Amino acid sequence: MPGALSRAAAIVGAAEAKEIGYPETPKTAIQLHIEAIKAVSEQTGIPISRINGVFGAGWSSQIAEYLGLHPAYIDTTSVGGCSFEMHVHHALAAIHAGIIDVALVTHGENGWSQRATGGRGTGRARGMDPWDPGSLYTNPYGVSGAPSNYSHAMTRHNHRFGSTPEDFAHISVVTRQWATLNPRAVMHSKETHPFGGPITVEDVQNSRLVSWPLTLLHICLVTDYGGAILITSPEIAKSVKTKPVWIAGAGESMSHSNMLEMDDFTATSAAASSAAAYRMAGMGPEDMEMAMVYDSFTITAGITVEMLGLAPRGEGFTLWKDGHAAPGGRLPINTNGGGLSFNHSGMYGMQLLVEAYRQLSGTAEDGVNGLKGKQTSARSCVVNGTGGSLSTTGTLVLVSD
Amino acid sequence: MANYKKPIPEPDPHSKPFWEGAKAGKLMLPRCADCNRVHWYPRLICPHCHSTNIEWFQGSGMGTIHTFAVQHRAFGGWADEVPFVTAYIDLNEGDRMFTVLRGVDPNKPESIKIGAPVRVEFEAASEDVSIAFWRAV
Ligand SMILES: [Zn+2]
Repeated sequence: MPGALSRAAAIVGAAEAKEIGYPETPKTAIQLHIEAIKAVSEQTGIPISRINGVFGAGWSSQIAEYLGLHPAYIDTTSVGGCSFEMHVHHALAAIHAGIIDVALVTHGENGWSQRATGGRGTGRARGMDPWDPGSLYTNPYGVSGAPSNYSHAMTRHNHRFGSTPEDFAHISVVTRQWATLNPRAVMHSKETHPFGGPITVEDVQNSRLVSWPLTLLHICLVTDYGGAILITSPEIAKSVKTKPVWIAGAGESMSHSNMLEMDDFTATSAAASSAAAYRMAGMGPEDMEMAMVYDSFTITAGITVEMLGLAPRGEGFTLWKDGHAAPGGRLPINTNGGGLSFNHSGMYGMQLLVEAYRQLSGTAEDGVNGLKGKQTSARSCVVNGTGGSLSTTGTLVLVSD
Repeated sequence: MANYKKPIPEPDPHSKPFWEGAKAGKLMLPRCADCNRVHWYPRLICPHCHSTNIEWFQGSGMGTIHTFAVQHRAFGGWADEVPFVTAYIDLNEGDRMFTVLRGVDPNKPESIKIGAPVRVEFEAASEDVSIAFWRAV
């Protein structure tokens, strides 16, 4: 039986900034936010002034101020790329409680453009506390950024289950197939990127070694992105011009913050966050007709589908290797082309939400964000964000009428 | 020592015994005096039983490889040393440390074995700070 919060709110719209990926003219984070917010307001017909809850990864008060809003609910949860799935969880609870009835979840990040702006326009403070345990006990040892950490998880998975990097390379290959159906994907084709278009397992394995066993094509892009969704009460959801996508279940959890505290390098807290989401929804992994899972790295996606119960332990990669996750497969996964081939701005959770909304509202093949063959027939989707170093997770079960 | 070009940690007020031990070539570890379990990184409270009764003791300096990677891209002083092996080390006393692993061939990762024994050693990075590294034995 579904929990009390199940379907207490719906996502009624999802939109992106005008230019995403690698814009020719550098963008700022605020610009990416505002373009997406304006677009989702126009898409749904809900005026920006009607928003009474603002959810952003660390930046919600600045966004609300910029928009001249005085919201009744302000959430700055910022625990990595899964923050946006957690925002949906929190918005669901706030709407169910009657505190608000129109929630904005927004994301703007100039992961690409900040190279040109010298780190300006990110909306983030720079630097780390020298007394943070991560600074004291991991930074002296030459790790730099996510790839140098996540590789340790791949080594352990290979050791424990007898999997291989080649097994995981299939995730990159299949995800790229989806990208060829998305004209907005950085790696859509040779027109969008010199190395775009279809790839093989050999291409993945022969690409430059970054942090063994991870080669470049096991690793996500670094791009610009702006995205926004609106979540409303059921009453408002039934009155707007767009289709509602119901939040049937939501859950969140974490296993650690710094990888130094990761107990099992082959598991994440998605086991716990998805258990909560499935329980709220009164549904299980067998009811999911597609999945949007965070693919910062092939290992992230491979482990996650195991945690979500979509594949047996140690065998997550088989969903891609056996073609089930591919276009036309029985369980489409990452239909936008993923963080691997579509877009990954640093935090990727919003990209998951926007594509899940498009798929479940039947708008995934509009000619701009999708070509023929991208729209699935799915009416249920499990969405899982992963943040930090396989640290934090937020899981949603979304369904359409 | 003056030539140490890689990041040098700035010890915090809560982990002095570790850093003093490191200068003397000893691996000092925090242990809960109530539940007797070791934890790493050092804390003001035991993450297992939430006792604040933490004591320091000298560890064996021995452990095993939990998992590892080979870094082919690095920044700052480490950029000059690629490729190098990073590893998580299971301490014989319990819990885990991170390190750059010495005594292994980064160009032959298949020759590095998870579970293999390692021993700690210390390198003086400055007058005040020595850094723990682990070496395959
Ligand atoms: Zn204790």
